[in-house]
Amino acid sequence: MSVLELENIKKSFGSKVVLQDITLKVDEGEVVSIIGPSGSGKSTLLRCATFLEHIDNGAITYTGQKVVAKSAQGAVYPSKKEIQRACANFGLVFQNFNLFPHFSVLKNIADAPIVIQKRNKVEVYKEVRELLQKVGIGDKENSYPCELSGGQQQRVAIARALALHPKMLYFDEPTSALDPEITAEILRVMKELAAEKMTMVIVTHEIDFAKAVSDRVVFMDGGMVVEEGTPEEVISNPKNERTKTFLTKLSV
Amino acid sequence: MNQVKIIKRKKYFAAGILCILVFVLALFASSMFPGKTSSAKQEFIVGFDAEFPPYGYMDENGEYTGFDLDLAAEVCKRRDWTLVKRPVIWDSKDSELETGAISCIWNGFTMNGRESQYTWSTPYVDNSQVVITRKDSGIMKLSDLSGKVLAVQADSSALAALEGYDATDENKALAASLKDLQQVENYNSAFMNLESGMVDAIAMDIGVAAYQLSAKDDTFLMLDEKLSSEEYGIGFKLGNTELRDEVQLTLLEMLEDGTFDNIVKKWGLEDSACLSKEDTTYIDGSQVPVPGSSKKNNESASNADSSTVQASGGAKVKKLGITEIIKQLSSGITATISVFVLTLLFAMPLGLVIAAVRMSRFKILEWIAKIYISIMRGTPLMLQLLVVFFAPYYVFRISMPYSYRFYATIIGFSLNYAAYFAEIYRSGIQGIPQGQREAAQIMGYSKGQTFFRIIFPQMVKRVLPPVTNEIITLVKDTSLAFVLSYTEMFTLAKQIAAGQTSLFPLFVAGVFYYVFNFIVAFVMEGIEKRLDYYR
Ligand SMILES: Nc1ncnc2c1ncn2[C@@H]1O[C@H](COP(=O)(O)OP(=O)(O)OP(=O)(O)O)[C@@H](O)[C@H]1O
Ligand SMILES: [Mg+2]
Repeated sequence: MSVLELENIKKSFGSKVVLQDITLKVDEGEVVSIIGPSGSGKSTLLRCATFLEHIDNGAITYTGQKVVAKSAQGAVYPSKKEIQRACANFGLVFQNFNLFPHFSVLKNIADAPIVIQKRNKVEVYKEVRELLQKVGIGDKENSYPCELSGGQQQRVAIARALALHPKMLYFDEPTSALDPEITAEILRVMKELAAEKMTMVIVTHEIDFAKAVSDRVVFMDGGMVVEEGTPEEVISNPKNERTKTFLTKLSV
Repeated sequence: MNQVKIIKRKKYFAAGILCILVFVLALFASSMFPGKTSSAKQEFIVGFDAEFPPYGYMDENGEYTGFDLDLAAEVCKRRDWTLVKRPVIWDSKDSELETGAISCIWNGFTMNGRESQYTWSTPYVDNSQVVITRKDSGIMKLSDLSGKVLAVQADSSALAALEGYDATDENKALAASLKDLQQVENYNSAFMNLESGMVDAIAMDIGVAAYQLSAKDDTFLMLDEKLSSEEYGIGFKLGNTELRDEVQLTLLEMLEDGTFDNIVKKWGLEDSACLSKEDTTYIDGSQVPVPGSSKKNNESASNADSSTVQASGGAKVKKLGITEIIKQLSSGITATISVFVLTLLFAMPLGLVIAAVRMSRFKILEWIAKIYISIMRGTPLMLQLLVVFFAPYYVFRISMPYSYRFYATIIGFSLNYAAYFAEIYRSGIQGIPQGQREAAQIMGYSKGQTFFRIIFPQMVKRVLPPVTNEIITLVKDTSLAFVLSYTEMFTLAKQIAAGQTSLFPLFVAGVFYYVFNFIVAFVMEGIEKRLDYYR
């Protein structure tokens, strides 16, 4: 069953069309990478799928349940409560982490499971500590974000998303704010997640990583999906001219 | 361990809140139920300027006293009324009379030029305007003042005598020949100006001049020539002839049995007192009632009273020590602190509400908040206080009780400070990266949860420095409550200063403000340190 189905997503900012007509399906356990030049609408697509932006038209479905429906008059959104419920399906890891600076690492991760999901405190703390071990910062639970390096903060952000038990995770260039050697550590964490069959949609400029970890690669340009397929098809043997140009520019 | 600490901290916090609440409740209770709960007696409320010795001022015991108040006390005794001495700020005396907050203005109140604005008693003091100079100045006659600087109190009779529309031609010529006619706020600063040579002479009421000179050593001189002669009367609300006649009658009785003269002697005003039974018509032309036509309380009063009124040969200034000044200021300190605490208590949450409206998605709401903030920040707080105080009467014709001036002070301050806090909060809130809100939204936090768990705690830390500035300003601004004649510490200090003919009480008040602000800054710094655990 597909975890996410985006159909005919259209989005403009004023007169500027950013997403022309995007359709994307992600199955359970699948890792999909989205690549493409700057300004092609990758971030906007994630923001639309996560309800941070309001789409003009199109349909958004999570785990078979339609959240946003398309119509002749444009996209039909449900109530705020419905949206809030749909949000439980996914987590989003931002380029700039967006941790809560006044919460300790432990609280950053545990607050939502306890306050929002009303789960048992002791169990949550236990799980959070395991998650911290897993992302490799088991000794930092009492630190505050300002005391952590960028790489450590991004690990907290990943743990924070995982703690809510989402069906899938979105990543928007999770390593582009980080130094190269730290990037590798974050990518290793994500590879582990992929190995555990976590469903993921990753916007990235790390082509080698995308090639290694993805089941499918989507190349976007000008608000459209230009080419889509396995890493071998899209990255190793691109058919479209635009894909080829983009990849050669990256490798220089 | 960490948790234990947090729990402890929470406990302290709760205890602190509880203390503040109890304090506030106590304040409310005390203002709701003033000391005298029931008194069937009629109240006679004398409005006076508490900085006008010897007619009405604060004495060295912190009591309001003076020639006029002594007369009023005697009248009340004979009439079996309860005397209420109510200091008012001079600029709003007419509104106070209009709203019924005072029964009359009895305070060395010049009739000349105001003949038709009040219902007047007959004149009881003949008050001339005189000129004081330094002995060594060489100024001996009025004509010597040409080319000199003359000081007068703003809005005083002396000013009117020199420049008013009914000033004599000689006085107008004199005013024109001056180098400058300097208006000063009070007689203390007038005398300091004179002493230091910044002005050459002061024009003032003769009674006030005599009182001031009694407190100074022999360096000053009163010119023999007088600027003008004018008379004091008791001013009642226009048309209130009934009360006027009752008071007039009682005064004439006091004149008859010698009590009036005793009080005159006590205050050293023999030269100027002029109450006379020969005055058979009021200034408005109506007939003065004749004593004896009503016999109320006549016999009982006369003898008993002469004992309370001892002729002591003129009012003398008794200098106070610093401890006594502090003791007298202390009641004002409570008033200042309650204005401060209550204003913060209301303005801080109200500011949050205004900030929320200001950031509302609805344009109309946003604009309402914008206009509100711009008015509150763009007009003087003093004016806002006056509006809050007088609006119920002048707009809605509702007479508010005396205690309203306390509430009006709090309301005015809170409305004003809330506008400032709102803008501070807004900048604090908008400075928090949007990404945190988005992260919270995706994690399932509701709008309210996001605000209270994520935004608000960070806002508090961000706004702490500007809020501290506002709080410190508020400590000093509390003195503005004087425009509503709410007697907080600075008003009290000014009154004591007037009675003492010295600025020293104002310096004592200054020290208090400094200490208060020192504590505020210390507390705020402590809070800032506590929130220093993150950036
Ligand atoms: N809130 C907005 N208002 C107006 N225009 C926007 C807004 N957000 C994005 N855009 C525009 O939409 C286009 C797509 O932006 P988007 O951030 O989705 O690109 P991207 O593919 O993520 O690029 P990058 O690789 O640089 O992150 C850009 O031209 C951008 O200027
Ligand atoms: Mg982007």
